[in-house]
Amino acid sequence: MNSHKPDAVTLRAAIESFAFHGDSRPALQGVDIVAAPGTLTAVLGGSGSGKSTLGRLLGGWLAGGRDGTLKGRLQLEPGGQQEAWQPLVFAGADTDPQIDPAAWAEQVGYVPQDPAAMLSAVRATVEEELAFGLENRGTERAEMVRIVAEAARRTGLAGLLERDPATLSGGELRRLAVGCAIVADPAVLVLDEPLASLDVDGTRTVTELVTAELARGTAVVLLSQSTDALARSAEHWLVLDGGAATAAGPPDRLLAGEELASSGVVVSEPSGPHPVQAQPRPCPAPGDVPALKLEGVSFGFDTKNPGRPLLLENVDLDVWPGEIVAVTGPNGAGKSTLLRLFNGLLKPLRGEVRIGGEAIAGVPTGIIARRLGLLFQHPHDQLFERTVLREVLFGLDRVFGDEAPGRAADALAAVGLGAAGSAHPHELSGSGQRLLALATVLAREPEVLALDEPTVALDAHGLKRLSATMTAAAGRGAAVVLVTHDLAFARAHAHRLVELRDGVLAGR
Amino acid sequence: MSQPSLTLPTPGQRAGRNRRLLEILGAAAIAGTFIYLVLTQPADITGGLGSVSALVALGGFLLGAVLLIVGVLPTLPTSTVVLIPVALVLNIVLGQLMGTSGLPFYLDAIGTVLIAVLAGPAAGAATGALSSIVWSFINPTVLPFAAGAALIGFLAGTAARYGLFRRFYLAPVAGFVTGIVAGVVSAPIAAFVFGGTSGAGTGAIVSAFRAMGDTLLAAITKQALISDPMDKAIVFTIAALLVYALPRRTTFQFPFVRRYNVLAGKEPAKRNA
Amino acid sequence: MAPRLNPLTTLTAAAAVLVITTAASSWAVSLTVAGGAALLAGVTGTARRVLLAAGVILAPFWLSLLLMHGLFFPEGRTVLASWGPARITAEGLGFAVDMGLRTSAFVLVLLLFSFSVRVPELVAALAVLRLPPQFGYVLASTLMLAPIIAARLEKVRQAQESRGLVVGKGIGNRLGAARLQMVPLVLGLVHDAGIRAQALDARGFRRTGPRTTYTQVRDSRAQRGFRILAVLLAVAAVAVRIAASLPGGGQA
Repeated sequence: MNSHKPDAVTLRAAIESFAFHGDSRPALQGVDIVAAPGTLTAVLGGSGSGKSTLGRLLGGWLAGGRDGTLKGRLQLEPGGQQEAWQPLVFAGADTDPQIDPAAWAEQVGYVPQDPAAMLSAVRATVEEELAFGLENRGTERAEMVRIVAEAARRTGLAGLLERDPATLSGGELRRLAVGCAIVADPAVLVLDEPLASLDVDGTRTVTELVTAELARGTAVVLLSQSTDALARSAEHWLVLDGGAATAAGPPDRLLAGEELASSGVVVSEPSGPHPVQAQPRPCPAPGDVPALKLEGVSFGFDTKNPGRPLLLENVDLDVWPGEIVAVTGPNGAGKSTLLRLFNGLLKPLRGEVRIGGEAIAGVPTGIIARRLGLLFQHPHDQLFERTVLREVLFGLDRVFGDEAPGRAADALAAVGLGAAGSAHPHELSGSGQRLLALATVLAREPEVLALDEPTVALDAHGLKRLSATMTAAAGRGAAVVLVTHDLAFARAHAHRLVELRDGVLAGR
Repeated sequence: MSQPSLTLPTPGQRAGRNRRLLEILGAAAIAGTFIYLVLTQPADITGGLGSVSALVALGGFLLGAVLLIVGVLPTLPTSTVVLIPVALVLNIVLGQLMGTSGLPFYLDAIGTVLIAVLAGPAAGAATGALSSIVWSFINPTVLPFAAGAALIGFLAGTAARYGLFRRFYLAPVAGFVTGIVAGVVSAPIAAFVFGGTSGAGTGAIVSAFRAMGDTLLAAITKQALISDPMDKAIVFTIAALLVYALPRRTTFQFPFVRRYNVLAGKEPAKRNA
Repeated sequence: MAPRLNPLTTLTAAAAVLVITTAASSWAVSLTVAGGAALLAGVTGTARRVLLAAGVILAPFWLSLLLMHGLFFPEGRTVLASWGPARITAEGLGFAVDMGLRTSAFVLVLLLFSFSVRVPELVAALAVLRLPPQFGYVLASTLMLAPIIAARLEKVRQAQESRGLVVGKGIGNRLGAARLQMVPLVLGLVHDAGIRAQALDARGFRRTGPRTTYTQVRDSRAQRGFRILAVLLAVAAVAVRIAASLPGGGQA
C-alpha cells in the first residue's frame, strides 16, 4: 500500500446465478452491479436476501467450483493507461477460471459482517494482525512497518497498535477488520453491514473512515439491511429480495417505490430509526401480584474487590401481567446481567427475585424456564436440534403432553416460520434464527418473557413479527421485559421505559 | 506495466510429487519403526531401560509423524486447516478429562475423526499427528504417541471414504477395527518409552496380565486390545453423531464429502422451496 | 533469561537433553536432568506452573508404575515380600524407579520449554525454518482457542438452561446434556472456521512464495553455534549407545 492514491479500478459484476453445493435453489440470480472509483453503491435487502453472498462473491471469498456453482462474469477495469485484465467468465463448468483470492483481494477488499471473522486470531497485537497479510506476501520488514503505520493512520488505530485484538470495542474491531483489508491497498472495498450493533461512537468513527476512503478515490460497495445515514449518502442503490435484484437506481426514486418496503429493508427516517409509529398505550391496571418483582437486588461480578462499585445497586422493579417494560441504558451498564438475574443464571448478592409472588432462590434455572422465558442475543448458542420443528418441540411434551405438536406449529406460524419446519436451524437467515429462538420461548407460554436486544439482526419483516408476537403475548396476560438500545422501538411498544445507569434503575 | 494475474495457476507436478514423497517416507518411517520394535523386543526390556528401543521408538515414530505433517499440511484447503485447531481443542479437553477420570478410555480422538470424516485420510493423519505434538505443550507424555494418533486419523478417513459413515451402525464397527490396529501400534511406545501406562484404569489391566506372567509388551498390547477398540468405537460414534448434526451446506463445503458421498445415510435436511 | 533466547535455541536444547537422557539410560542422569529442569524453572519464574502441571501428569503415572512393577514383575528374582500372586521384587521396584525418573525428566524438560516459550516468537522462528505456515497457524490457534471455547461453552449452557434444560444428577442425564451442549458448540465453531478460512485465503495464507515475519526474533552467532553443538552432542550420544548395544559391545 502506498500513501498516494490507489489506481482507479472499476468493478463490474454480472451474476447470472450462484448456488451453494447441495442447495436446490440458487442463492443469487440475475444481479448486476458496477462499483466506480470514488462512488458509494449500497446493496439493500432483508435478512437472507443474498447480500452477504453477493459481497463475498465480489470479494473473491466465495469461489465458483469450490463453494458452489457460479454462472456470470466478473471484470476489473483499470483506469488510465494500464493494461486491462481479461474478464473472468464463469459457466458453472470445471474449466472455469479459478480466482486467486489473495491476488483478487489486492484489488477488491471484502470486510465481513462479523469483524472478528476477518482476523487470523493467531496474532497477539493489533499491529501483528495488520501485518499478517503482508507477511504472507513476503513484504520486507521495513516496508511492512511503514504500511502498518499508514493503515493504522487511515483507520484511526494508531493509538491501539499494541493492544490485544480480543480487548477492542465493537467500533475499534470493525476498523481493524477494515485495516486488515486495506493493507493490500484495494481499489474497491466491499463492506458488509459495517454499522451493525455499533453504538453512537462506533457508528461515527466507521462512517468517517468510509468517507475518507471515498475521498481517496476508492470505490465502496455497502451491504445493508437498513436505509441508515450511510446508505442514504450513496449515489446508487440496488435492492435484493430472495437472491434477485428487484430494483436499482438513485435513492430518491427507490424510496418512493414499493420494492424497498417488500424486500424487508428497514426504512428509517434520516432523523431517527424506526418504521413503527409510536402510539400511547394505556398501562394495564396493576393486579394483586406482580408477574415479576425485584426487591432491593444488588449484584457485582468482582465481589472480592471491595473498592469496585457494584454493577447493580438496590434495584426494585415490578412488572405486572400484560405489561411491556423496556430497559434502556448505555453499553456495559449491566442490562444483560439484569436479565440473567431474573431466571437464576446469576444469583443476587442481596435482595430477592419473585415470579408470580414466589421467590426463585434455590430453584434450578431449567425449572424457572417454565414460567420465565429468556431470549438471548446470539441464537447460535441456543439452537441445537436438526430441524426447526424439533427445535421448538424440544421438551414441550413434558409441559403440554399431546398438545405439544399443535403448540409448536402455532408458535412457528406466529413468527412466520410455519413453512420452514424441516429446514436446519443454522440454514435459516440471521433474522430467521432469531425468530426461531423466539418461537422456542413463545411455545411454552411463559408468564414472563425476557428479551435481550430482540431487534438486533431483524429485518423489517422480522421486526413486524416481533412486535406482533410481543403484543399478543402481553394481550394474553404475559409480562414482557425487553432490554434494548433501540429507543424508538422501545417507545413504540413499551408501556413503560426504565433506564439502567450507574447501577441504578430509574423510570423515565 | 503488466497486471498481476487474478487467477490461480494450475498446480505444478513437481511440488505435488515432492509432497507425495514426504508422505510415503513418513509412512515408511512409522512402519519400519514398528517392525523393528516387534522383531527386537524380547531381549531388550527386562535387562535395562530398553534404551535403544526407546530411542528408535521415539525417533522413528516422531520423524514419521513430522514428515506426514510437512507433506500433507500444504495440500489441505484452508477450510480444513482452520478446522484443525478446533479438532485439537476437542481432543485435548476431552482427553485431559478422561485422563483424570480413572476409566480405561481416552476419548482423545473425536476431533481427529471429525476431520477425517469431513476431509479425508490424509487430513485425518495430519490432524492426529498434530494433536499429539500440540497437546505435548501441556502434557509431554502424549508426544511419542503421534504416529498412533496419525494412524487413527488415516483409518477413520479411509472408513469414511468407503462409506462406513453413511450408516449410523457402521461407524462403531469401523472404530472397533481401527482401535485394534492403533492399540497394537501404540503398545511398544507405552512399553519401551514409559515402561507402562499412565492411567489408573489401564495400569490395573496391565498388572493383571503381568501377574499371569506375560512380558511387559505383551501385557500392554493385551490391555490396548481391551481398551482401544471399545474407546474408538465410542469415539467414532460420537464423531458420527456430531457430523450428522451439521447442516448440509456446511458438510458440502468439503470436496471429500461431496466426492465420496460420505454421509449418504444422513437424512438430508430438506430445504423448503 | 529464557524468553530472551531464540525459541529454536531452547527447543534444540530441550530436545538434545532428552535424547542424551534417554541414551544414557541411568537413573542418576535422569534425576539430575529432572532436578536441573525444576531448578531452571525456579530461576525463570515458571516453577509454580511447571511443577503443578508436571505433578498432575506424573503423580498418577508414578502410582501406576509402582503398583504395576512393584507388585507384578515376573522377571524379578530378588523377592522382598509376597502375597499370593503379588510379589514385591527389587528388580521390579528398580525398573519402576528407572522408568519413573526418565519420564519425570522428559515431562519436566518439555514443560519448562513450553511454559517459557512465547508462542508468537516460536511461530515466527518456525516460519524462518521454512516449515509450512499452516503448522505455525495450527499451533498458535489451538493454544489461543482454548479460553474462547471455554467461554462459549458457558454461554451455550446458560442459553439452554434458560430454555428449560434441567441437568439431572444421573449419568444418563449428564450425558444427554453433554450431547445437547456439544452440538451447538461444534456447529458454531465449524461455522466460524468456514468464514475464517475465506478470510485467511483473501489475506494470502495460501501463497506459496517466500514469507517474512513482523515479529522480530532475537538470534546470534553464539546461539546458532550452540544449536549445532547440541545437535552434535545428541547424535554422538545416540551413536555411543547403539555401538554399545551391538553384539560384543555389551548388553544395553
